[in-house]
Amino acid sequence: MPTITIDNQTFEFEGQQGLLQFCLDNGVDLPHFCYHPAMSAPANCRQCLVEVGMPQRDRATGEVNTDDEGNPVIQFMPKLQTSCSMQMSDGMVVKTHRSSELVKRAQKDTLEFLLINHPLDCPICDQAGHCPLQNQAYKHGPEGSRFEFEKVHKPKHIDLGPRVVLDGERCINCTRCVRFTREVSNSDQLTIIERGVKNYPMTPPGVDFDEPYSMNVIDICPVGALTSKEHRFKARIWEMSKTASISTVGAKGSNCYYWVKDNQIMKVTPRTNMDVNEFWLADEERLAYSTFNENRPEGPTVEGAPVSWEMAWKAAADCLKGVEGSRILFLGSAWATVEDNYLLAKMADALGAPAPVYLPHVEKGHGDGWLQTDDRAPNAQGCERLGIHATSPEAIKARLEAGEVDVLYVMEDDPVASGVCSASDMSGIKVVLHHYNTTNQTLEAADVAIPAATAVETVGTFVNVDGHAQRLRPAKAIAGVNRTLSMEIGKCRADRHGTPFDKWYNESNLVNCQPGWVALPAVAAEIGLEMNYKGPKQIMEEVSSSNPAFSGATYSAMGELGVRLESTGVTA
Amino acid sequence: MADFIKNPVVGLPDRKPEPVIPADQLHFSEAEKTQIQTWISQYPSADGAVMRALWLAQEKFGFLPPEVIQLVADELGIPYTNAYGVATFYTQYFKEKKGTYVLDVCTCFSCQLCGGFDMLHYLEEKLGVHKGETTDDGVFTVQEAECLGACGSAPMLQITNGAYVHNLTKEKIDALVDALREDKMPAFTSVTLPQDEDEMGGNRRTDVESTETYQAGPVSETTR
Repeated sequence: MPTITIDNQTFEFEGQQGLLQFCLDNGVDLPHFCYHPAMSAPANCRQCLVEVGMPQRDRATGEVNTDDEGNPVIQFMPKLQTSCSMQMSDGMVVKTHRSSELVKRAQKDTLEFLLINHPLDCPICDQAGHCPLQNQAYKHGPEGSRFEFEKVHKPKHIDLGPRVVLDGERCINCTRCVRFTREVSNSDQLTIIERGVKNYPMTPPGVDFDEPYSMNVIDICPVGALTSKEHRFKARIWEMSKTASISTVGAKGSNCYYWVKDNQIMKVTPRTNMDVNEFWLADEERLAYSTFNENRPEGPTVEGAPVSWEMAWKAAADCLKGVEGSRILFLGSAWATVEDNYLLAKMADALGAPAPVYLPHVEKGHGDGWLQTDDRAPNAQGCERLGIHATSPEAIKARLEAGEVDVLYVMEDDPVASGVCSASDMSGIKVVLHHYNTTNQTLEAADVAIPAATAVETVGTFVNVDGHAQRLRPAKAIAGVNRTLSMEIGKCRADRHGTPFDKWYNESNLVNCQPGWVALPAVAAEIGLEMNYKGPKQIMEEVSSSNPAFSGATYSAMGELGVRLESTGVTA
Repeated sequence: MADFIKNPVVGLPDRKPEPVIPADQLHFSEAEKTQIQTWISQYPSADGAVMRALWLAQEKFGFLPPEVIQLVADELGIPYTNAYGVATFYTQYFKEKKGTYVLDVCTCFSCQLCGGFDMLHYLEEKLGVHKGETTDDGVFTVQEAECLGACGSAPMLQITNGAYVHNLTKEKIDALVDALREDKMPAFTSVTLPQDEDEMGGNRRTDVESTETYQAGPVSETTR
């Protein structure tokens, strides 16, 4: 197997590989700006320079020349090479900044160049704190600048499009954004204009940077040149905690991080998962977090009046008790987790009711074959695999009008908004509603309204459109959950480094709601049904062992990247 | 460049400009289309032909407003954005309307020492415009240029991305302006080296009508 020696350490490798990526994969931290694994390597930032040598060969015989001790003589290339564009070959010897003063010097000098016209506005820059240029300047850069002229002024706070703002001065012209639109999203909306010190990325005249994936350039920008229009100046990176979870917009289940400050979602950024979304996230997935923060209910209500949780469980149970099973309609939800839908199906089964159904939220033509899907709900596939099948609003309406239903039990959905019927048409039936937002239009008709924890507040599983089962983790705390005890919640720097005696978290914006895996067993207990689980982990273990459509989907197997379930032939 | 160092401000191009070329004139003739297709076939991909096609468009329309760049991109079948990036990179592509004759006076190191700025200022005074501006009659645009690679015959200027005028003097500028007003372009002139003067009849190149002998450059009046 071919070998390569990096800083006197020998590695084996296979096939054609880029040197920089190989170093990064093997724990050799080479500084770089323009290289991105998903895109071509233009080698224009010059930050990843290394010394590269090959064994010297005798011209006549082709044999490797050896020194007195029998070691091959290494002939180094006369100039430093950019490791991002260097293909590895057998016998190659590489010296990085860890073993070469020359490379160390080159990295320092390159940084001095990059910083010549870079403004010193880190204190007000959104990128500060997670800025590769800032980090690398601290790590490898010079202590000060020798440039004593006025820095170049370029256009600032320019709206490239509806969602992305450009600060031309901060740009180091790595062209990652340009290559993203050329090679990944293929929208061809950005280019570098002008030349020399005057260049910066721009759209051509008459073009708006409005493609549905435009905000990815904000993440890949190694400086603060491209920032998000709606997140700008809202929160510093070290004030937020981040939780690895998945997006709930659409059925793709793109992996993402939820960034939380004061128990409010501040932004959503992609998390790499090569089986699902690779490095990217659609703009709609980043911007649809207001439903998690705004219009949230404050505790359960019965007939519109606020009550305690115990009263609410009792009232919900009273609605179900003494009603013939066939006259109860359980409505599952493609918004709710597999665990919660499973408990609902179990409750329906225990009460002798028909299996729950769910309302699909499909918008034909919305999908683009990439991260946007026709299905606007995250877990339709999970419902189908549980035997909870899609129904149409018309079919439910027909059943309600025929007087076949006495009790409608709605799990985290909104049948009125889906067009089943108006709220007033439900006056004759008892409605129990688990809801996320006070804007839920079925709320008007609900006899018992139980606020439900949203996907960013609960623990659970979603199955995406391709059958990839992935875990949800709680990003923000809800009322009654102790942040410090709930180990699933992502941490911020204060969480990690603050002492327990500091007041480093706060209890503002805690929503008084309950996740489905708490609410459903509580209602079941009031009815007299046994539904004892220690938590969603145990529920999922039961689902994966009892239902072949979920085999293998345990929490430990799913981890952070999820599990691809076997195809059932069922499409949501 | 000297001005840029004193006041290093980069402007933002007009992002929503009104079209300046009437729609009925905004097209290539069949002959031009054939020419562009020939160029495309000479490169591995159509991107390669972008510079020649932009050049052709500039010669046709006089300059390259966004709608012309779009036309070129459509003709080549490449993204408009890429063509725009190329057009803004090169100063020889004019993004706004210029005079009939664009006089690029070199003020880079060699020409500067030999009086490049003297010539530029003389031309500015003579035509009553500042560098970067066009005369009211629309005939001349005066520009300051970086090195045009003719240091041996400094100071010099270039006329509309074409002919060079070597060993500039004020008299030469007077004559040049008068000639251009009558639409007489100076012929291509080759500057010969002293050692060639005797051997090759003073003309190293046989394909040019006009030659000029190398002479030691003058010393600038102002840059001392």
